[in-house]
Amino acid sequence: MPYLKMDSADLPKVARKLAASGARLVLPVREGDERFYREGADPDSLDLTTIPKNSIKEFLFPKTERILRYQYRGKDVTVEDVAPTAAGRTVIFGARPCDAASLPVVEPLWNWDYKDEFFNARRAATVIVTYACRTAPDEACFCVSVGLGPSSDQGSDVLLFPLDETVVAVRFVTAAGRELESAFAEFGKGEVAEEALEAFRKTGEASLAHRKKFDRVQGWLEAHFEDRLWEEKAFRCIGCGTCTFLCPTCHCFDIQDESCFDAGYRLKNWDACQFSLFTLHTSGHNPRDTQPKRYRQRIYHKYAIYPQKFGKILCTGCGRCVAHCPVNLSLYDVVATAQERAERGD
Amino acid sequence: MTTEAGGSKAPAAWEPKIVAFICNWCTYTGADLAGTSRMKYPPNVRVIKIPCTGRFDPLFMLKAFERGADGVLVSGCHPGDCHYTAGNYNARRKFTVWRKLLDFAGIDLDRVWFSWISAAEGGKWVETVRNFTETIRAKGPFREYGEMIDVR
Amino acid sequence: MSDRTAGIRAIAGKWLQEGTVEAVLGWEQGTYRDKTAPVLVRKAEEVDRLVFNERCTNNLMTYLKRDPVRSLSTVGIVAKGCDIKALIGLIQESQVPREKVKILAVTCPGVRNADGKRPVKCAACDVNTPVFYDEIVGEKIASNPDRAARFRDVEALEAMTPEERHRFWREQFDKCIRCYACRQACPLCICSRCIAEKNQPQWIETSAHPRGNFAWNLIRAYHLAGRCIECEACETACPADIPLMLLNRYMAKVVEQSFGYEAGRDPQAQPPLRTFKLDDDNSFIL
Repeated sequence: MPYLKMDSADLPKVARKLAASGARLVLPVREGDERFYREGADPDSLDLTTIPKNSIKEFLFPKTERILRYQYRGKDVTVEDVAPTAAGRTVIFGARPCDAASLPVVEPLWNWDYKDEFFNARRAATVIVTYACRTAPDEACFCVSVGLGPSSDQGSDVLLFPLDETVVAVRFVTAAGRELESAFAEFGKGEVAEEALEAFRKTGEASLAHRKKFDRVQGWLEAHFEDRLWEEKAFRCIGCGTCTFLCPTCHCFDIQDESCFDAGYRLKNWDACQFSLFTLHTSGHNPRDTQPKRYRQRIYHKYAIYPQKFGKILCTGCGRCVAHCPVNLSLYDVVATAQERAERGD
Repeated sequence: MTTEAGGSKAPAAWEPKIVAFICNWCTYTGADLAGTSRMKYPPNVRVIKIPCTGRFDPLFMLKAFERGADGVLVSGCHPGDCHYTAGNYNARRKFTVWRKLLDFAGIDLDRVWFSWISAAEGGKWVETVRNFTETIRAKGPFREYGEMIDVR
Repeated sequence: MSDRTAGIRAIAGKWLQEGTVEAVLGWEQGTYRDKTAPVLVRKAEEVDRLVFNERCTNNLMTYLKRDPVRSLSTVGIVAKGCDIKALIGLIQESQVPREKVKILAVTCPGVRNADGKRPVKCAACDVNTPVFYDEIVGEKIASNPDRAARFRDVEALEAMTPEERHRFWREQFDKCIRCYACRQACPLCICSRCIAEKNQPQWIETSAHPRGNFAWNLIRAYHLAGRCIECEACETACPADIPLMLLNRYMAKVVEQSFGYEAGRDPQAQPPLRTFKLDDDNSFIL
């Protein structure tokens, strides 16, 4: 089945059309030497050069949000629901495949023992136009290691294939994506055969051929909890939240109440298992009292526990944790070591 | 906690909320003297007694602004008169640094006053509070700080 | 291999062999682009992991507050002039005994960040050849500091109106995600329980809304006033690209102008916010 062909120079115009209906538009834009996904930016500042430093997580799961309001009147308290913010129609235009793929990975979590109305409202209202990677945009990328790829359509409604500097092929993946066809059709300049996309996909995967496949990691982890690996590898971790907060699939949160005298809000804020207080009990006991234990936990959650619970790896190989860790503690290196040891049988 | 959009034009009913962190030995006693002398002054000031200006911490000021204070006053013993000998000298350095940092962050320094008021200066207490209250009244409420809770 | 790398390996090997130190903390080549990464070498056979090049940007003194380095009785630390200033600050504050650390100083022409550019601190550096150390490697480098470079960007902000500055910081602090990479990377942020981690009472709101972020960033800058040695570890680590050094350098400027004090020079000096002069500025106090 052929795909729509268009000029990549027209992509900002498509974005502008999609936002015209009042939708919240999220785009990757340039800031200094970096790119960030930002909402409300002018579509002409769309910058698809490389993977943005932040993920799309914040647009579905904000770094802080109010979830209820309470009011005391004497001894009585009333609790009111707070509607999810930014739950109106959202278009994320130019997401990378690793970002789009994070959504099907985390959806089971947000609908597990509690259906999180905040995430779900935003997810239902969000449509993702993904920009596939012709080649891996950064040395840190490893999406192929976790069963994805630079042309993965997981989580995407529309998938854009930059066949070269000027030509983009458009594939409408889902019903929600097909609803956007008219916005693209105006800029259509013919068709692209499906075979061209096969070649595109192969080029992308070839650029990541050096990355190990992490297919033996879960089993190795389940048998090596007390291994010396954690002490050795995690020495340099300084216990910040950079990897956790930039990660598209990390989702832990802290509940905070902020009040002013007789009224206040309850908030849901990003939290990180790398923080020293994350598992501190009120008794004073902390089961993860050293950084190696906390770092081990992160790997286990992503590569053993989440797969056990939900059948998916809690990682899309976006590489942000590798690229932006202040001390170059590479999650890829650590997990690759586990994979190698599994393959060697130790 | 208010989440209404703040403006600098106050409704007719608005009254400035001044929070004053004052030291127990000098300024607090001076304020007491103003009271026993039946001096009249605006009732807008909320006094928080600290043992010494050396106890003052910028966190107190930020919390006051978060909770809706329109102005913050910090007052203590004159240099040389500190009950703890040097608390106010340490405080003076803290004030210097903190005040400049607030200015650098774009907070209006005219909402942040510092004074030395002795136990005998009931009159100075009254005058300072009156001047500060009227200054803040002219400026309007300081809602912007407390309302910065929306993520853009 | 550079002379500095060879020199570092030789001295580290000697110290480990002779038991002068339990371990040597230095940099090794990283695995992402040209990044280097902190490494703790405990055996003389492993010293070949140590390198020195212009990507050795991390201030390793930050590990002194964390286990395992915190619990060692002696440690050798490879250090540039700027890193050593942090240690001087820690010694001043009685946080690290002088005898614990064997300083393996290295002369440094300047480092480069990930974008290939030299940080501001290098332009203004006058400790290219460190003066406080136990052993030193590398050819002597004469310093040629552009001291004005230090406060150039701060002065640009000072020239704005308070409203413009507030708008600027509002935009910057909107980006903060409260990851605390700034605090964790900073060698002078040493509190075992940071004020932001206390909730009885909770002075600093932990939420990443602008109000919470103002409190966090301003209080951190205030707690570093007169202590920050401008190594730029915080700004380099920040994943939200917030220009944190504007705050820290402004505080350094205020402390220098008001109290005549510069951090990280003299281990015997009294920290400026723990001392006072009878004629300190009183002009702003009624």
